[in-house]
Amino acid sequence: MKSGQALFIVFASLLFTWAGQIALGYFQVGRLEPILNEETNYTEPPVPSGLAQTGARVFASQGCLECHSLSVRGPSGSADLTRGWGPRRTVPRDYLFREPALIGSSRIGSDLSNIGLRIPDSKDLMLHLWNPRLRNSNSTCPPHPWLFERKVAGPKIENDALPLPTKDWKQILPKYQAKSLVAYLQSLHSDYALPEAPIK
Amino acid sequence: MTTAIPTFSKATAAATILLVGSVSWALLGAGLQVLSTLQLLIPALAYVLPIPWISYGKLAPLTTFLFTYGWITSGFLGVLTILIPRISGIPFRYGRILGSAAIIWQVAVLVGLAEILWNGSTGLISMPFSRSVTALFFLSFIVLGTGLSRGLGRSWKSGPLLPRLYLLGALIAFPLGLGTAELLLRGGLAPGALQIMMQFVWNSFVHHLWLTPLALVLLFQLLPVLTGRPVGSLSLGILCWVATITLGGWIGNSLASEGPVPSWLQSAGVVTTLLLGVAVWGNGTLLKPLLEGKWEECRRQVALRFLAVGLWSYLASYAWLAFLALPAVRQTTTFTMVGQATQTLLLFSFYGNVLAGAVYALLPASRMIGWPSHPTLTIHFWFSTIGLTLIASSYALAGFFQGLALNDPGVPMSTISSYLRPFLCTVLVGQVLWWIGQLSFSTLFFASLLKLFPSVAPVAIFPVDYDEQPQPVRQGQH
Ligand code: HEC
Repeated sequence: MKSGQALFIVFASLLFTWAGQIALGYFQVGRLEPILNEETNYTEPPVPSGLAQTGARVFASQGCLECHSLSVRGPSGSADLTRGWGPRRTVPRDYLFREPALIGSSRIGSDLSNIGLRIPDSKDLMLHLWNPRLRNSNSTCPPHPWLFERKVAGPKIENDALPLPTKDWKQILPKYQAKSLVAYLQSLHSDYALPEAPIK
Repeated sequence: MTTAIPTFSKATAAATILLVGSVSWALLGAGLQVLSTLQLLIPALAYVLPIPWISYGKLAPLTTFLFTYGWITSGFLGVLTILIPRISGIPFRYGRILGSAAIIWQVAVLVGLAEILWNGSTGLISMPFSRSVTALFFLSFIVLGTGLSRGLGRSWKSGPLLPRLYLLGALIAFPLGLGTAELLLRGGLAPGALQIMMQFVWNSFVHHLWLTPLALVLLFQLLPVLTGRPVGSLSLGILCWVATITLGGWIGNSLASEGPVPSWLQSAGVVTTLLLGVAVWGNGTLLKPLLEGKWEECRRQVALRFLAVGLWSYLASYAWLAFLALPAVRQTTTFTMVGQATQTLLLFSFYGNVLAGAVYALLPASRMIGWPSHPTLTIHFWFSTIGLTLIASSYALAGFFQGLALNDPGVPMSTISSYLRPFLCTVLVGQVLWWIGQLSFSTLFFASLLKLFPSVAPVAIFPVDYDEQPQPVRQGQH
């Protein structure tokens, strides 16, 4: 075999790989558009707030993905729906506004695609981040206390302090990272129907 | 036979830097990996020591990064820098530039490490680092890759063909894959689910179009030389090469189960994984006969021993991937620890053993040193082999139990965590054993580099040092 032939084969097969997956994939999922809900005038999936978009990066950087997935599978061959991980399976359109779009690799913990429905209250989510065992004494989810700071309670009442007893008059306050992460977790819900994924 | 006076090739410095980096990253990664398994095994640790940089969420992506880009890639580039000029007979020219490129690679790994520790991973599969690290990898690769491609030679009339073909494929696939992944994932060109598909494609590129071909360069070059037997059928070899580079980039999608990847692409992933399994089996029929009846040599020659285990792991890894691609199996095993079993097989058993064998075979040729026949060699082999067997089998079993339990909605998540605990214990034992093996290898490696041991005659892989007089290769396929 001559080197020119070899070079040709390599380029042709890599082109095939690339065109076959990314270019075809682009025509299929790269051009998806959100659906406009005529009643609410909001798009589905909804556009997340700026805070939630920052939170997506915090979620990635804290490595939550090492234990939590972001993809609910359908009823055939998986128990995701019966576990209550979501009202329907996840489809490509759900990731439309995710930046970065992530799926996760392992389910040591539960799927979080709909955690905004399961734990809608921001205080509960904050408490879980501070110490998961406050909500579930058996929890194996690691605590993330570095997302919080202890501060002496000022004269004005801090609205976002965790509802925990103070120590040396110090309250536990979420840092910006914790606030954005919670906003992101709250933005995770697929309770809207899509043409390709109706809610039964 | 080697000459008494060492003649240093221009690329010796580069090769040494790459190998020293590789060995050091492996040691560090192995230590951190033990820590990360401990975190998973004893969740209370996170309460006792709430330190962000040693959290499981940081350590897990960090160790994968260190092993993939630090240990294996740097190591492969290092041994290839020794090997390639010698098989082509074309010595490297710009030693300093190559050396700087080797340093840049290590700097890139160091920056990536610091980034993941301080800022965390980007969450992207096989791309946990920032754009600046990509830029450094590119810079280093352009120099090292150009050097290596020069070693491919212009006319391929003489010398081995299959190692060259695999090297060519890898050298083109790596920059192409990294470039497109960077553009699509961070250049804002790919919206939503397309990003996830791109991550799977890039993950396939890194493993099946970059590291696997590089490992095959080493297997196809070193096994014939060490055993003194040529590869049987060149045309079958070429066929398998074409199949490997055509199919390798597709198989990542076989592991996505439903979710964001269109179903036709998942089916394509399954079909390509099965077909690739056939190609790997074909390569197996070419390489296995080289080792037939060579037990005694495998026992005596440490390089051959590691390469033999590497070859078996190559076949096992792809058989395992084909098994996992079967739809019924996939439904149970997606999002479970089976993923870690695959990583252990591919990264540690296949690439890692081929790399160790290549270092044992090639370092003497480059540095004019021999490996002392030392109990440390035995420790390295047995501790790492037993360690890896424990790790891979525990992760695989754990993953299957985890998958079955996840598919039973009556089992709460915290109960599943407790099911995993005994398996994680054996994983931990395996990881400690592997670390000890790696520690003994590193001791030997650094002691040999510093010439602390009285040298035994090195295994003669190359008849002469080609710095002096280029000659065609002694054996291999013509
Ligand atoms: C070491 C693995 C691990 C990591 C890392 C991890 N978790 Fe968890 N997580 C778990 C496990 C196991 C559970 C299930 C036990 C429980 O309910 O607490 C869980 C449960 C949860 C729950 C409750 C889920 C539910 O269905 O009620 C939330 C919310 C959560 N984790 C958020 C996070 C966030 C956010 C991060 C990253 C900052 C994270 N976790 C990191 C293992 C992990």
